[in-house]
Formats: sequence, structure tokens, C-alpha cells
Amino acid sequence: MKLFTKYNRVNITATILTFVFGSIAFYFVLHYVLIRQLDQGLRVEQQEIVDYIEKNSQLPDIQKNTKHQWIKVTPATEPVGKTKPRSIQAYNTSDDEKESIRQLIFSVTAGGQLYHITVNLSETETEDLLQLIILVTIGMIGLILLSNYIINRKLVARLWRPFYTTIASIKEYHLAIQQPLQLAKEPIDEIDLLNDSLNKMTQRIHHDYHALRSFTENASHEMQTPLAVIRSKVESLLQETEGKEKTIQQLLVIEDATQKLSRLHQSLLLLTKLENRQFLLNEAVNLTEIIRIKLEERGELIASRQLVFHLNCEEVVLAFHQHLAEILISNLLNNVIRYTPAGGEIEIDLTTKALSIKNTATNGALNSQKIFQRFYKEEQSAEGTGLGLAIIKEISSIAGFTIHYQYLENKHDFTIHFIP
Amino acid sequence: MKLLIIEDEVSLNQSIVDFLTAAGYLCEPVFTYRDALEKIEYHNYDCIVLDIMLPGGSGLELLRYLKQDKKTDGVIIISAKGALEDKIEGLQIGADDYLTKPFHLSELSVRIAAIIRRKNFNGQSIITVGDFQVDTIGKTVTVKQQVVDLTQKEFQLLLFLIINRNRILSKNAIAQHLWGDDMDFPANYDFIYSHIKNLRKKIIAAGSEDCIKSMYGEGYKMQVA
Repeated sequence: MKLFTKYNRVNITATILTFVFGSIAFYFVLHYVLIRQLDQGLRVEQQEIVDYIEKNSQLPDIQKNTKHQWIKVTPATEPVGKTKPRSIQAYNTSDDEKESIRQLIFSVTAGGQLYHITVNLSETETEDLLQLIILVTIGMIGLILLSNYIINRKLVARLWRPFYTTIASIKEYHLAIQQPLQLAKEPIDEIDLLNDSLNKMTQRIHHDYHALRSFTENASHEMQTPLAVIRSKVESLLQETEGKEKTIQQLLVIEDATQKLSRLHQSLLLLTKLENRQFLLNEAVNLTEIIRIKLEERGELIASRQLVFHLNCEEVVLAFHQHLAEILISNLLNNVIRYTPAGGEIEIDLTTKALSIKNTATNGALNSQKIFQRFYKEEQSAEGTGLGLAIIKEISSIAGFTIHYQYLENKHDFTIHFIP
Repeated sequence: MKLLIIEDEVSLNQSIVDFLTAAGYLCEPVFTYRDALEKIEYHNYDCIVLDIMLPGGSGLELLRYLKQDKKTDGVIIISAKGALEDKIEGLQIGADDYLTKPFHLSELSVRIAAIIRRKNFNGQSIITVGDFQVDTIGKTVTVKQQVVDLTQKEFQLLLFLIINRNRILSKNAIAQHLWGDDMDFPANYDFIYSHIKNLRKKIIAAGSEDCIKSMYGEGYKMQVA
């Protein structure tokens, strides 16, 4: 639910409730005030009659009955106890209908005779007024709600527009793009604060990211150069080994170790870059083609190990990164080629949903919990960096793929699902 | 053939110079940006071996300067920065090739030879060494006027051996030249042995002497006068 919708719901509910309770209260207050006015009129009438009797010792000539006020005089034997105005339904003779009236009964003595005098005031006028006021109030409520609604729709949508612009730029923002976010200044304080904070934050991140990046690159440089020196010296020494079998063997061990160190380092560097998400996955990559090329490159190696490949590949093109896709496929193939026993079988199935590589196993199932960990090796063999599967997993995860290992019918099965 | 070796690491520079001098090139070593700039300004070279990170400046700046000046020197970048972007940038500015450290000197030598061949196009595509005549454009080899039928890999292997003739080459260096860095080789390199064996058979059948020597099965050397 949008913040605006949520706010609107609460706001409208609160407004309606306020108006309903307010109107009810208003009605009662107004009613009370109007009735008091009527009662005052009744009291004034009573006072006039009482004054008249005191002065003239006889009943006044009551002829001034109107349709709003009429007085009835009846002889009585008992005085009225309490004289308090009350509302009743009564028949109004002049209007010829039943209506609400306010009535005050009091007793007076005139010429020794006790009378009950009933003063009636019609409430019709009061009620009409009340009705009108209520109607106007309801109309006002409606108008306020309507204007609120229109303001919210038009104005709020416009007020939020910079916010959505900001969100859109954040969504598109990627560290590998060489610039920090540059969000514009906004007249609204909150949005401006948000933009400003985001600008500053990305600037900081950007700075750190670059520092880290140049650090890893420089570290790589600093390590590869001594390795290059070692290798070049080994190569020079190699020329002086004619007739010295032991020396040549030892030199080649050094060379292999250099090679391995260099490769290890490149793999770690790659993992760091993968973790930093330094790659944009926006190239159309033909996986089928890559698999074909990488297999062809390894043709001699495959032949020398008498491996049998069963390919079952659909044409698959994904939005990915060409270089990463190549590394992914290379690593997968290197793994199966290395760990399949000579003469073993390898099955590659590629569909638009998944890539699965199965190969003949030698020593039963692998530890599926640990194989993707860095430097985990099933057997402490000298070959391999122990980073191959970790790289495969990391590349899969930045591409949004998932990788699963299972052991089925004496075969290892690594499957990468393209759709999570 | 004159080469300029721009590399700040003194011992690496020394190794490169030694190796390439033995391969018959005239090498001039320089160690700093300033010295390199001076050399480039006043001399012409067949090929320049260029390190990117130099004291005093970037190798890429030197490369830009060369291209601005319309110099025709071949350039091979040797850098520890294996990052793809750096590679692409170097090649875009106009380097002829790019080699990531650590590399085999024999590989550097082959790449330099290829650059020089490309630069001096006229009549230089035939390499004659001993009994061999290698046509690097037509990708054919003749031994005593007889064409040897080689696979693509065998041709590559023979060219590698010929350019690095009279040198001991490790199996590792051969494998990396033929299949690149990306592959992961089994420790025994059996399949290289079989490639060498086939090549040897073919050139002997064509009438050449058995000039590819195995060094205890660890490396190979092509011995030609």
C-alpha cells in the first residue's frame, strides 16, 4: 500500500468520524440553545400573566393566540406542583396538524378562583432552523471531503514526484558506474535531505570502493611482479641444465609452484571482484556457443583422457557478462575433465531453464555442504586451487542463478538453475 | 632487430634482455618513464616491450604519445594488471599485444616475433631455420622442399619451437602457448607428449633430422644450427 493511500485512509476516516461526532454534538448543543430560548419565551409569558393578575386581580383577556403560541386557561382545584416547561406532541388547532410543542403549565389565583394556565409554543420553527443548520453542516462536510480528496490526488502526487525520481535513480545506480549519485536539490526539505544524504552516502561508498579496488589491483601488481621475476629466472636457469636431470626437475617444481601461486592469486582477485559486484550483467551471452568453444579448446585434453561427452544443448542466450560466462563454463569443464576417471562419461544438458553437468564418479558422493567453500578439497591433491567451485557459486549468485549438487546413480550432478 | 625493454623491476628487465639477446635481438633496457620517453623520442624500434606501472608515469601514457607521434614501433604490453578493462584499454590505444605477468619468456619471444612479422610485411612471412621453411601466413611448413602436413596445433607447436630454438622449454610453457591460461592442465601433460611425438614423426618422415630433443620428459628443445 502506498504511503499516500495509507495516509488518505486514516485521514478520511478521522475526518468523517470528527464530523459525525462534531455534528451530533452540534445538534444537541443547538437543540439545547433553541429550546432554552423557547423556555425563556414561556417564562416571559408566565411573568406577564402573573404581573397582570397581581395588578388587575383578574385574568387577562387572552385573545392573542397565534399559530406559534397559544394559551389555555382552565379552572382548577389543585395548584400545579412544579412548573417546568416540557416538550409534548399536541394538536395545533390553527395549523390543523399534530406537532411538537413546548408547554408550560402554571397555576394562578385570580378573584379567589384557582386557574391552570397552559402556555404552548410551537417547536416547528425551531425544528426548521435546526434542520437547515444540519443540512448546511452536512453539505460542508461533503465539500471538505471532496476538496481534500482532490488536493490529495493532485497535490500529493506532485509532491511525491521527486521522491520517486530519487528512487528511480537509486535503482539504476551501480557501483561499477564510475560516478556517485548526483541527485538534484529539491524545494521540499525532507526530499532534499534524503537526496543530500544519498549523494553523500554514495560518494563515501564510491570512495571506499575505489580505494578497495585500487588496493586489490595494486596488491595483484605487487605480487605478480616478483612471480614474474621468479619465473623468468627459472626459465634462464633451465637453459643451463643440460645433463642435469635432477636440476631440471627441481626447477620445474618451482615453475609449477609459481604458476599455481599466480593462478591462486588471480582466482582470489576474481572472487574479490565478484563480491564487490564489479560486473554489469547486460550482455547477450550465447551459452551454447561458449560451451562449444570451450570444449573444442579442450579437445586434445579430452581425447588424451578418453572421456566420452554426451551433449544435449538447446540454443540458450542469457543476459549475462561474456567474460564471466566464459570463466563459469571453463571452471565447470575443467572440474569435470579433471575429476572424471579416464574413459569416463560426461553428460551436459543445457535448456533455457538450467545447465546440468553429470560425470562418472570415482569415490562416491561429495560433501555437498562443503564443496562450495573456498579451499575445501575432497582429497589433498596438489592439483587445483580449491577455488573453482567457490568461483562458480559466486558467479552464479551474482547472476541470480542457483547451483545444486547431487549424487545419483554413481554420478556427480552439478545443476545451475537460471531461474530461481 | 632493435627492441626497447621498458620495465622498472631491474631483475625482470635483465632476464628479458638476456633471453631476447640470446634470441638474436638487440635490446635496450630502460627503467623509468622519463628515460623511456627520451628513448622513444629519438629512436625507432622494431618492437617495444612496455610495462604499465612505471616510476614517474603510466605506460599507457607512453603508448598514447607513440600513437600521437605516428610512430610505427610495435608494442607489447606486459602488465600485472590482468583486469579485462586494462587489457581492452591498452589494445584500444594501439598496443599490438598484451601479456599478463607472470609470463614465460619463450611466450614473450614468440609474440614479439609475430608482431615484427606483421609490421615488416613484405617478404618476411617466411622463416627459414635449418631444414625448415615456415610460411607464417599460409601456415605451411616445408622440409627440404617437401610440404609437411600438420594440424593447426602442430603448426603452432613447431613455430613455437623454431622461434625458441636451442632453448629448453618446459611442458608448462608449451601447454600455455598452445592452449592459453584459461585451461587447467593435469600434472602429467601426457597429451603434450603425444603432440610432440606426432610432430616428430611427421618431420622425420619429411626428411628432417630428429631435432626435437626431450629433456628427461620434463621439457623439450629444438636443436638446429
